Amino acid sequence: MKTTDVIVIGGGLAGFMAAAVAANRQQKVTLLTYGSGSLPLMSGTIDILNAKAPDAAIKNLPAHHPYQKIGLKNIDSAIKFFCDIAAQANLPYVGRLSAQIPVVTAVGTLKYSCLVPESMDASNLINKKKIFVVGIKGLKDFYPSMIADNLKKYFPDKIFDVAQIDLKLLGGRDITCMDAAQILTDNEQTLANELKALNATDNDAIIIPPILGVMGNFSRSVITTQLRADIFETTCLPPSPPGVRLQRAFIKYLQKSGVKIFENSKVVRGVVEDKKVTGVVVENAVREKIFRARKVILATGGFYSGGITMRDFDNPMEPIFDIPVFFPTGAENWSNQQLFSDKPQGFSMTGIFTNDNLNPADENGKILYENLHVVGANLGGCDKIFERSAGGIAISSAYKAATI
Amino acid sequence: MSDTTQAIFTGDRCLSCTSCMANCPVMAAVKEYRGPKLVGPAHGRMHFSQEDIEESLNYCSNCKSCDRACPSGVAVSTLNMLQRAEYYKNHPHLRHEDMLAHGERMANLIRKMPFGATFSNIGMSIGKTLGVFSALGLAGERDMPAYASTSLKDYFPRIKQASASKKVVMFTGCYINDNEPHVGEAFIKVMNANGYEVLIDKGFNCCGSPLVVTGFLDEAREHADNNVARILDWKKKGIPVVTPCTSCSLMLKEEYHELFGEHEMHEAAENVYDAFEFLEILQERGEFNDNLKPSAQKLLYHVPCHLKSQAIGLPAQDILEEIDGVKVQTADAGCCGISGNYGFRKDKYNISMKIGAKLFERVKQKDFDKVISDCGTCRMQIHHGTDIKPCHPIEILAEAYK
Repeated sequence: MKTTDVIVIGGGLAGFMAAAVAANRQQKVTLLTYGSGSLPLMSGTIDILNAKAPDAAIKNLPAHHPYQKIGLKNIDSAIKFFCDIAAQANLPYVGRLSAQIPVVTAVGTLKYSCLVPESMDASNLINKKKIFVVGIKGLKDFYPSMIADNLKKYFPDKIFDVAQIDLKLLGGRDITCMDAAQILTDNEQTLANELKALNATDNDAIIIPPILGVMGNFSRSVITTQLRADIFETTCLPPSPPGVRLQRAFIKYLQKSGVKIFENSKVVRGVVEDKKVTGVVVENAVREKIFRARKVILATGGFYSGGITMRDFDNPMEPIFDIPVFFPTGAENWSNQQLFSDKPQGFSMTGIFTNDNLNPADENGKILYENLHVVGANLGGCDKIFERSAGGIAISSAYKAATI
Repeated sequence: MSDTTQAIFTGDRCLSCTSCMANCPVMAAVKEYRGPKLVGPAHGRMHFSQEDIEESLNYCSNCKSCDRACPSGVAVSTLNMLQRAEYYKNHPHLRHEDMLAHGERMANLIRKMPFGATFSNIGMSIGKTLGVFSALGLAGERDMPAYASTSLKDYFPRIKQASASKKVVMFTGCYINDNEPHVGEAFIKVMNANGYEVLIDKGFNCCGSPLVVTGFLDEAREHADNNVARILDWKKKGIPVVTPCTSCSLMLKEEYHELFGEHEMHEAAENVYDAFEFLEILQERGEFNDNLKPSAQKLLYHVPCHLKSQAIGLPAQDILEEIDGVKVQTADAGCCGISGNYGFRKDKYNISMKIGAKLFERVKQKDFDKVISDCGTCRMQIHHGTDIKPCHPIEILAEAYK
């Protein structure tokens, strides 16, 4: 087995991004994944930080925050690279680091995010007179009346109209957004005809669940060219077509760039010599296989993805390299029982601490491996869900790790 | 490896995250299938009466995309197969299910008749023309795989090999034994070139994969017990069992234990290797014969689902690219759709062709010299969908040793 330039462990947003950036820099890359990663389960939007102007707010974060180690320049470059990859797959994203874009959620609230698929960008909603919220007969987990009622709180002066259209999806299983999106791919005209029948004008907006295909913007283009009103997709419960579109955009780019993607490959430990990682060990049903590399990027995620585990309380572990994991000590600091309060969750701060090169460090700040870089949800020191930084940390740490 | 890899113990790890649904090729093709999560992991554990049957279970093709998509190590497809076996405890098998499950029995019968292979091949082509297969519930659009005039096991004693102290036993698999013995011959040639003598064990049965997917689980268990006992005998002698068929290697290495959970099954599995996995291990040890004749050719590689599931990388690509001038390009077009005998069923034919459409489109671009794939039914499906006949990667390597 030949030694490759870079091994990336993990097939979520951070892993895909790291593999793409490294491949773009003419590195030979092997991506090892176990499970299909977080993208099919995510909304498709990339949150960078919950602040009106994230770029300014990032400068005020504490020194141990991952963003301070990554640096604004890398965050900027990562956003540019990310948008470029998506655009190559005809999946245009809009947004920038200095502002937030509204997105309509599946329950009719507005959520703000820095990077948003063009199909979900609801900025223009404010300029519309009438808003149609369109449900699909038989589609699970999408309630147009509830969405309209909730949106009225944001836009009390607008006229709302709720419609239900029949795309003849019934007669099989309960239909999810993913099902509808797959059925509509290359078969968009039925939906276009139904939406045309609403007689919406260019003063109107149409809000639909995210069912405009699973490949980039292709299905959406077929429909928007036939409508005068603007059409917006909401977020949805998983499996999520906007996340799947993003996953497919990445996979297409990685395959085109010659990245070797090996599925079902559970990395159980590293092969290390002094302060260098020379390879990783994949365990299959009966034996182990060593994959060798000059550089390794760890993108296995946090608690939710098994990138960090905890068998005994106060003893979180990173299971592959046994890197020390930072966590808030003391049970009283571990969780905040008010789930929807305005305070973070202690346990969510759990993760690995690094130097500015994202090399893992022990409790004394000593660097453990020079050619191992830690990215995404593996990084500790902030509650990424509370501060809405998970996506931004994923793409920007991956960008930095792949370019060092 | 602990007992936690037995499928029935993995269901509790399901978080209902829907990753399997987002990646299921059958769900993408038809809306009748309720999907991997709801069939094996959910309904399989939640139904409390015999009448409570999930009919859409029969849509699962056992391609194992769900297992690979699962972040929590749930053996989703095997849970589906166990559930299918439960169904057939109270429901009769249809005639075509019986036929498709018992290819080995049929082949053995034919081998006992003089000119049996010739006559059955003629019979199969007449049968196809007259619509007999379709009437039986088989996909009338397909050719049934033709029998070779002599099976590999019968022809084997006539193959000249130098005896060597290093030996492997070839697990031929039914398709290579009865339909494509030249693939087996290529394997023997490659192993000989690497200093190994190849043995054949006539006591092996079909691995059982066709039985498992059609719900003949008790018979599959008999095959497993027999094969496992023999593999353990070879293990005691220090002789590895190697197979050029990726569905056989997956069954022997992983699925026996997932299905039945006996410790010996895992012990036996440790002595089983996929052909190119074995060659790559030789290469790791510096024992691989790299005296390969250069050959300028571009190969399009369709990686079988059942190889992806084995987590061994792509050893065939790595080994073949040792040949000067060979460039291997992966097809990256997903599951071919046939999934063993699934695509041979009349009611699954269209699904199987719909799933394979992306691969057919890729192959039809014809920007390569040959298509390669390690799996026999994948090769049949590509041939059927494109009129381009693929070969096994071991055939390319055997050529390079000439």
